[in-house]
Amino acid sequence: MSSKPMASTPPLLELNNLQMHFPVSSGVVNRHSGVVKAVDGVSLTIQEGETLGLVGESGCGKTTTGRAILRAIDPTGGQINYRRADGQVVDLATLNNRQLKPYRREIRMVFQDPYSSLNPRMTVLEVVSEPLRVNKVARGRDIEDRVAELLRRVGLRPEYMRRYPHAFSGGERQRISIARALALNPRLVVLDEAVSALDVSVRAQILNLLEDLQDELKLTYLFISHDLSVIEHICDRVAVMYVGKLVETAETSKIFTTPSHPYTEALISSVPIADPRMRNTRTRIKLQGEIADPAHPPSGCYFHPRCRFATEKCSAETPPWKQTSNGQWALCHYAGEIDTKGILDLESSAAD
Amino acid sequence: MVMDDKTLLEVKGLKTHFPLDEGLVKAIDGVDFSVQRGKTLCIVGESGCGKSMTARSILQIVQPPGRIVEGEILFRRPGTNGQPGTVVDIAKMDPKGKAIREIRGQEISMIFQEPMTSLSPVHTIGDQIGEVVRIHNNASKEEAKARTIDVLERVGIPKAADRFDTYPFQLSGGMRQRSMIAMALANTPSLLIADEPTTALDVTTQAQILDLMRGLQQELDMAMMFITHDLGVVAEIADEVVVMYLGLVVERGTVDEIFHDPKHPYTRALLRSIPRLGRATKARLDSIKGMVPSPFDRPRGCPFHTRCESFMPGKCDEILPLPTTLSERRDVRCLLYGEGDGAVGRTESSKVLENVG
Repeated sequence: MSSKPMASTPPLLELNNLQMHFPVSSGVVNRHSGVVKAVDGVSLTIQEGETLGLVGESGCGKTTTGRAILRAIDPTGGQINYRRADGQVVDLATLNNRQLKPYRREIRMVFQDPYSSLNPRMTVLEVVSEPLRVNKVARGRDIEDRVAELLRRVGLRPEYMRRYPHAFSGGERQRISIARALALNPRLVVLDEAVSALDVSVRAQILNLLEDLQDELKLTYLFISHDLSVIEHICDRVAVMYVGKLVETAETSKIFTTPSHPYTEALISSVPIADPRMRNTRTRIKLQGEIADPAHPPSGCYFHPRCRFATEKCSAETPPWKQTSNGQWALCHYAGEIDTKGILDLESSAAD
Repeated sequence: MVMDDKTLLEVKGLKTHFPLDEGLVKAIDGVDFSVQRGKTLCIVGESGCGKSMTARSILQIVQPPGRIVEGEILFRRPGTNGQPGTVVDIAKMDPKGKAIREIRGQEISMIFQEPMTSLSPVHTIGDQIGEVVRIHNNASKEEAKARTIDVLERVGIPKAADRFDTYPFQLSGGMRQRSMIAMALANTPSLLIADEPTTALDVTTQAQILDLMRGLQQELDMAMMFITHDLGVVAEIADEVVVMYLGLVVERGTVDEIFHDPKHPYTRALLRSIPRLGRATKARLDSIKGMVPSPFDRPRGCPFHTRCESFMPGKCDEILPLPTTLSERRDVRCLLYGEGDGAVGRTESSKVLENVG
């Protein structure tokens, strides 16, 4: 266990060059034929009490990053520095299962699909109380009281605790998942596409609930999503991933108005805007081609084959992290020099 | 059967019910709309509102025991030499009969949501698209292949001739959805039904596919019925919008009317509950209270009254409103605007009231 002294404003969690490489084997003898770099050197920090959004398209490694933080998978490199309540910093990546146990109570996860993430053979009481029983936090009558309190907190009626998941709608199931995640008073909750499977009207309810719970319980969220409008709504800061690498981090207000990486620009530009009057007035930046294969990434900057600013340098050299004049970080040779368009530029001609 | 020239499809008072052991599920319980030639109609609503079932009813591919119990689906078949074609009622056709099979895949075709499960995993892309061409056109294998490669090129699949022999698992999600579109367009249908075609795709791929569909629609002068729950997509692509709730069309109008002058409390609430990019962040979202009721337990009267902020006790929970026509091709089903005039051509109001009471 590595411990470091407390810094001045220490983050709750710091990923340092996190790597998750999966071996690829092929042929009858399962020869090792390469690696898929699902997460390739991700470094980011999460401050206590904030919501960090992790956004990207499918296969970019955002879920793998979330799972590595929970140590649901063992990262192949890098550090996951977690600051305990007493100020000690531990590297979760180096701990074994027994040493991890106390931290599993403090970092919890909510999954995307409320239909497959709840055991259909367990009642709500059993589902929500399982973490309490496993960790011997409560026993007997106490358990039911705790579960009732948790259910009330997420907006469900405690009378329903003896029902099975099939009796609940998608939104209610997601509330049950959230209650389970909160059962052990976590400090960090990883929300992996937690609202993506929900209908519009229910999604708004759950987003409001998450915000209320954060205020009440001083929670820190890592909010993984592909939906930029939800990310913009709920997150304080945003980190964008592309093919296993982080390409940009910035405060939410900045990243949407002045994206500094061309991929962020294209992502923002691709989001359909719910206003038909904007349809013909918006200039959309269209990406050509497809997301690179993480097993065979392009040379240099992974994004260069699809980038509208790409030069020869981009295909030859791996870009460094650069900070722009307004404090955003981007993994781009030309960060801060290129004229990337934000949400307001795209809409400017549509002002009415 | 009166239908003007511009109208390609007209659905009147459609009801599709599922008699199940647990009770009667009224998946569609009063749907009226029309699709105009060359235009895009979006059907929007939450899961379980009957939007996919409407599409399936139009193609007569409702799974048993579900069946169309009432209503008309009038479709104008393509004419020859500039003459308007004949109008047929699909609702009356036998789901396994010859008549509907001539229309399916030829004059009306459909794209499904999940490109991985709707393509056969054991046949090549070329085989699957070629089959559609051969069945409807009596074409030889060579002709079918040439047509297939042509249509694959048209949907923007690079090196189409090489992709002819690939299997779906060798393609990315975007390419699979392009293949699905190619299959749907192989026989140049006059109506394309797309059931959540971009929901399983990433945003950048979604933008590509929407562009492609818009382009192809203009090129082929084809009407589209586009089913989605994503209001952003609706705003991008629709000419007209139909909003559904629990098997009923609650509001209908042009895309601009729906987004800028919504009438039904449900439409208004839906539009308020979506976070919008570039708008003030961190403000609380307006959510609709409660959830969509179970189909076995439909509320009496207006099905939305349990969640409605304009609920009028004694009225909304008693009377099922009929569509009130506000202007041409614009109607709303809400007691705030009257009990309905039934002008869209359906069973007279007394009969519906009887059913409710």
